[in-house]
Amino acid sequence: MIDPRSMTEPVTPPYVGGGALAHIGAEIWDHLWPWSRSGFQRQRAIQAAGLALALAATLVWVLAALGNNLTPGAIIGWWFGWSVFEVVVRLGSKPYVKEGPWWGQRYRKASVMDMICYVGFKNLLIGATLFIGLKSLGLLVI
Amino acid sequence: MKSLSALRGAAMAALFAVTSLLSLPAAAESAYEAPLPAEINSDPDLCKHVPCAEVVPGADSFSPRKGKPAYVEAYRSEGGQKTLVGYAFLSTDIVDIPAYSGKPVITLIGMDTKGIITGTKILRHSEPILLLGIPESVLTKFIKQYLGKYVGDKIEIGKAREGEAMIGLDAITGATVTVIAQNQVIMRSGVAIARQVGILKVEPKPQIKFAAVNDTLSWAQLVDEGSVRRLTVQPEQLGMPRAAEPYVDMQYGYLNTPSVGRSILGDNGYQSLMTQLKPGEHAIFIISNGSDSFKGSGFVRGGIFDRVQVGQDMDAYTFRDLDYLNLWGVKAAGAPAYKESAIFIIRDPGFSAAYPWNLVFLANKRDRETGHRDFVSFSDEYWVPARYIEGGRPKVVKPDAPWLKVWKARAVEIGLFVALLVAVATVYANRDALTRRSTRKNKWPVNAFKYTFWIISIGFVGFGMLAQPSITQVLTWFHSLLFKWQWELFLTDPFIFLFWIFIILTTFVWGRGLFCGWMCPFGSLSELIYKVAGAIGLKRFQFALPMKWHNRLKWIKYAVFFGLLAVSVFSMGLAEMLAEVEPFKTTFLVGMFNRAWPYTLFVAVLLGLSIFIERPFCKYLCPLGASLAMPSTFRWFGLKRKQECNTCKACAVGCGSLAIDEHGRIDHRECMHCLDCMVLYTDEHACPPLAQERKRRTKAGLPLTPIGKDGYYIPIKPVPAAKA
Repeated sequence: MIDPRSMTEPVTPPYVGGGALAHIGAEIWDHLWPWSRSGFQRQRAIQAAGLALALAATLVWVLAALGNNLTPGAIIGWWFGWSVFEVVVRLGSKPYVKEGPWWGQRYRKASVMDMICYVGFKNLLIGATLFIGLKSLGLLVI
Repeated sequence: MKSLSALRGAAMAALFAVTSLLSLPAAAESAYEAPLPAEINSDPDLCKHVPCAEVVPGADSFSPRKGKPAYVEAYRSEGGQKTLVGYAFLSTDIVDIPAYSGKPVITLIGMDTKGIITGTKILRHSEPILLLGIPESVLTKFIKQYLGKYVGDKIEIGKAREGEAMIGLDAITGATVTVIAQNQVIMRSGVAIARQVGILKVEPKPQIKFAAVNDTLSWAQLVDEGSVRRLTVQPEQLGMPRAAEPYVDMQYGYLNTPSVGRSILGDNGYQSLMTQLKPGEHAIFIISNGSDSFKGSGFVRGGIFDRVQVGQDMDAYTFRDLDYLNLWGVKAAGAPAYKESAIFIIRDPGFSAAYPWNLVFLANKRDRETGHRDFVSFSDEYWVPARYIEGGRPKVVKPDAPWLKVWKARAVEIGLFVALLVAVATVYANRDALTRRSTRKNKWPVNAFKYTFWIISIGFVGFGMLAQPSITQVLTWFHSLLFKWQWELFLTDPFIFLFWIFIILTTFVWGRGLFCGWMCPFGSLSELIYKVAGAIGLKRFQFALPMKWHNRLKWIKYAVFFGLLAVSVFSMGLAEMLAEVEPFKTTFLVGMFNRAWPYTLFVAVLLGLSIFIERPFCKYLCPLGASLAMPSTFRWFGLKRKQECNTCKACAVGCGSLAIDEHGRIDHRECMHCLDCMVLYTDEHACPPLAQERKRRTKAGLPLTPIGKDGYYIPIKPVPAAKA
């Protein structure tokens, strides 16, 4: 029976049920690491694409570290590309989002739009933090 | 990057073509991003490139650029003789004040020999709001207000206040930042040239009286107490590749201060310098490292040091070769090594070291993409430490920042607006009490508040304060975050600033529905039209799209949002133009009848459709709504549901937002928080599970207990009878 109190069916991630600190740690890891073992095995083609993307990104950062300029367009493009990739990976590996307040422990199955909202917003926050941090340290100049 | 630029150029060209067809008969003369010859910044014959005669009427010949900052003299020929009739000057030769776009409005200004402004002409601007939002003619009209005004007058934006010798100028509604910046540009430029040519006399300030302090300090002590300060400019600040070495790294100080002079020059050097200075003259020293020279090459050609000057209030003090002395060495212990040094003499009686002053470094910044060079300045404030001044530092009242002036001038309206936002949030936080007082047939306890807020939102917030949030602000924030965050940019419009704080907070707590459904001026106008139309007998013509179509069309707004976001990466100007998909500017900022007919027609169609469909723009097109809908996925507190809602369609049928699906689930990205479903949730006559329970209890003679938070009657729990 469908529960109308949740936009999609409720889901319980593997880490739910531990202590508060362990739960927070697991959630932080969940935000930063989109892969899971089962998803990794299922999405072979996507993982290959991910490896290629990681190599390309590494190359770009190495070039940047060697003194080549990264244009804002390239950085935003990289961020956007990664976000699209993360949406696809998460839908296979960790296909759930939180329902309700961030301090709660209710999760539900993620639709494509839920995942786009989640990944887009999360990466915007991470990107902004990185940008501000790197700029204030003088490591990034635009 | 070339192909990217070409793509952007093509897109801009296409859009310009469309807009010119649509609305702008004078588009060919538009100053928006108008190409200006590169020589405009450097050619001595300025008037070969710009229409000087337009700003100094009656003049028929012009001198080459002269002075520092630069100006040209305007002459009229009469009987074979040339008479000086005024001056023309380019704003970017004098100040580098950015407008809303972050770029300066390049303005040619004319002034007669008495200091009266005779003409102003905008040569180039990058203000998106003036491209489509507000006709450029409005800015032209604004700067015409300066004609006939004396440059020495205190001119500010807004109404002249009683008791203040201030001339007020009419602002441009919706372009406050632009006009405040433009006022500073015109007045500061005018004063700088009027001072230079002797129209404005400098009023001498009280000179510094040194306290009896005569110690000798090390370099580190001088730096610590602020007697030596530093001004560093990095190459990337001038559009050059980043490098380990700064472009210039200047350390400087005021040598008249006995302790400083003796510490830097030694006793003999200090005495020697003081004997060279006449009363009222001042000496500063500069030592510098870096890849380039702070002296520049101007002093070789014309005896003028064109890269450094001293600024105090609105005065600028420049240096000629006669104002220069060699600094043979720095005696202070621990002084750093340096590549370049100088002592400069300020001879102007208007300068006083008792008050703060700035060392200013002037340079050209190269735009990495276009190669265009803009004049920029970097400055650092210096104030002689209090212990050297007899009686300490004098009290200095610094003028308020432009944004602070706006906040102070509109304090009452801001107070009312804050009260409104707090009231809306408070009412919504207490929605449970209101919905319990309402029934399906009488929703006034909720609607009285909601309709009141709509009317206030349309009248006071929208048409009155012009505080209609827009997707362009989201894009501006996105870009500011990436490129240059300026709080001033956002603080200059207090209503929008406060509104966004409200929007961000309430979106995270309750979702976008509170703003979109209760406070958005255009959304409120749209739904009010729908409600009024229904009330006056047009209900039979009103309809909602089938869910199948709604579920397809609702994605359009997300596509519009992502489209705008993508375009903004390539060109913010283009994105702002495309943001005309929002009818907000036409409705509130400019006025429906002040725009070209396609814009008016667009708004009319949207509002006309609102008679028959509830909020068509909000549901299907609004990019702002889409941008807020996305974080609404993670709102903390949603609306309530019962398990029976998955089979019962009572709420879904009445949901004007079409946000309840066939399983009774609420899509909080689409919900406008009308609260109709929450009214039903506790209505024991309208909510089927409740009505059923009510009937059952009534039939069984059981009491009707209050309805709990879960939306059901509180269960009756028989208590075992107490033993006698």
